[in-house]
Amino acid sequence: MFQYVLRRLLVAVPMLLGAMSIVFFAMRILPGDPCVAMMGDQATTEALADCTKSLGLHRPLAVQYVDYLWRSAQFDFGTSLRQGYPVSEYIARMFPHTLVLVMASVILAALIGIPIGIVSALKRKSPLIDYPLRIFALLGLSMPVFWLGILLLIVFSLRMDIFPLIGGGDLDGALHMIRTGEVFSNPADFLAAVGDVLHHLTLPALALGFTLAATVSRLSRSAMLEVISQDYIRTARAKGQAERAVVYKHALRNMMVPLLTIIGLFVAIALTGTVLTETVFTRPGLGKMLVDAIGARDYPLAQGAITVFTMIIITVNLVVDMLYAVVDPRVTYR
Amino acid sequence: MAIVRDAAAPELTAGALRDAPSRPLGRALRRYAPIGIGVIMALAMIVLAAGAPLIAPLSPSAQFSDAVLKGPGAVERHALGTDEFGRDLLSRIIWGARVSLQVGLASVIFGFALGVPLGILAGVQGGRIETGIMRGADMFMAFPTLLLALIIVTALGGSLPNEILAIGMALTPNFVRLARSLALTIREQDYILAARALGSGQLRVMARHVFPNALYALVVVATLYIATAIRTEAGLSFLGFGIPPPTPSWGNILSEGRQYIKCCPWITTFSGLAIMVAVLAFNLVGDALRDLLDPRLRGE
Repeated sequence: MFQYVLRRLLVAVPMLLGAMSIVFFAMRILPGDPCVAMMGDQATTEALADCTKSLGLHRPLAVQYVDYLWRSAQFDFGTSLRQGYPVSEYIARMFPHTLVLVMASVILAALIGIPIGIVSALKRKSPLIDYPLRIFALLGLSMPVFWLGILLLIVFSLRMDIFPLIGGGDLDGALHMIRTGEVFSNPADFLAAVGDVLHHLTLPALALGFTLAATVSRLSRSAMLEVISQDYIRTARAKGQAERAVVYKHALRNMMVPLLTIIGLFVAIALTGTVLTETVFTRPGLGKMLVDAIGARDYPLAQGAITVFTMIIITVNLVVDMLYAVVDPRVTYR
Repeated sequence: MAIVRDAAAPELTAGALRDAPSRPLGRALRRYAPIGIGVIMALAMIVLAAGAPLIAPLSPSAQFSDAVLKGPGAVERHALGTDEFGRDLLSRIIWGARVSLQVGLASVIFGFALGVPLGILAGVQGGRIETGIMRGADMFMAFPTLLLALIIVTALGGSLPNEILAIGMALTPNFVRLARSLALTIREQDYILAARALGSGQLRVMARHVFPNALYALVVVATLYIATAIRTEAGLSFLGFGIPPPTPSWGNILSEGRQYIKCCPWITTFSGLAIMVAVLAFNLVGDALRDLLDPRLRGE
């Protein structure tokens, strides 16, 4: 087990380095000068030279590259050209918004997708049940999250006025209360802040959760189909167990093991989904920050955001791999 | 035991009797209906894209100042309404199919042409070549498709060829992985041994034996990736990094219409619907092909 974990860690490090290298060199070939983007076309040559020096862009590329890797390892991504303050600080402020959205949508996807997948597999010989459920999965898979988001906004925000059109709610306030301990001295305010966050979170989480649920349901269906064709299920049936007991005691438990580890991977997929979801709902977060940074040619901010995205995805994959080794002992023998 | 026998027997008999006459037809319908529907939808899209100049009722860039932001049917010549410049939405959506389909097909062909040879080489050759290719693919796979395409298209600039290149490159690692795993299985087959015994070189084995035997599975996945590519293109255009306006693409029509969702939801509704139908068509074809070609699913 230890050897397996070590091996996975050793594979993850060069992967992360490689991914960070791609980010660095991609940012260097972006059109336009960062200093011109920051100071405008009217800036004097001297001012531009000063800016280039202060950003360290006058140094050889290899030096910049090593410096970037070293700083990134310490979560120092430089200073945002547009905002003027440290990128890591900005990322730390945006991260909770994205985390909340990812968690809510993954939970929602599991709650909707897993039961649908199971029922679809168990009732695969009943077209009246299996077909609508499979159509649901296909529609969810084909529906772009940004379109679903807009439809939800049209219906629930503009027409019915139930949910807000933009924003992420008072998450910063709620987190501040937790940090300062105000949550105990002023629980009513804290609950109001949490309520506001949930109010703003509902539509984005629904949009992202629904599109993810489609994939979860398809994976659950195939996991269930795989399990119910196993010999131990046939044995359970042969010894006279009721179908309900076969499903709940044997099939469901065995199917959840691979499925729970797959759900981990959905964190990575959901994270990508936040780029579009946060843009549609004009919601603060890493995804919207990345799109805004690229649009405004704020290279340090874009570089920092992409690096953090990549770090999270590689870490989640690593954790999932390890989780898989924990639940399935055969993996350790590979 | 008695309980099992008593419970199962009537159900089997009744089911068998009830299904007996309609079974071949029913099975054929269940088997071929999804692929039929998918193929019809995909063909309709190809016809729309190819025949846009003939099919579109108006020019996609023609502006009608007397019909700005008119709803579907409000003005006779604009069946799906107009946008903020008075341009005909139906014509723009028909022309937008060209961009989606071009990007969808060309980026998958690019990813296939680059990824499959690399994957087969890795699988058949093994050793350091395999390690090098696979670590490279893993590195790119750390980025989700949209994110990688976003980085590449930002670096190169938003245009049709760049979008094809960006999405194609983002899809390449997926083809590398799949082709390698197929090659690993195929290289152990007896016919590969026979080919080698007859004096076939490595290149001939890969081109004449491994590739043709991996082709079915690769084509199925490629069909599903067309759907992914169309969705990614729409996502890029929606974020403002795709084909720049005024060239119509479904993503940029939807993005422009976003500002008018309060008064004129038809712009976003119809353009989004077009994206969904196109993605659905290729998902249906890919799914159905996989089900048809996977022997484990026969009889399901």
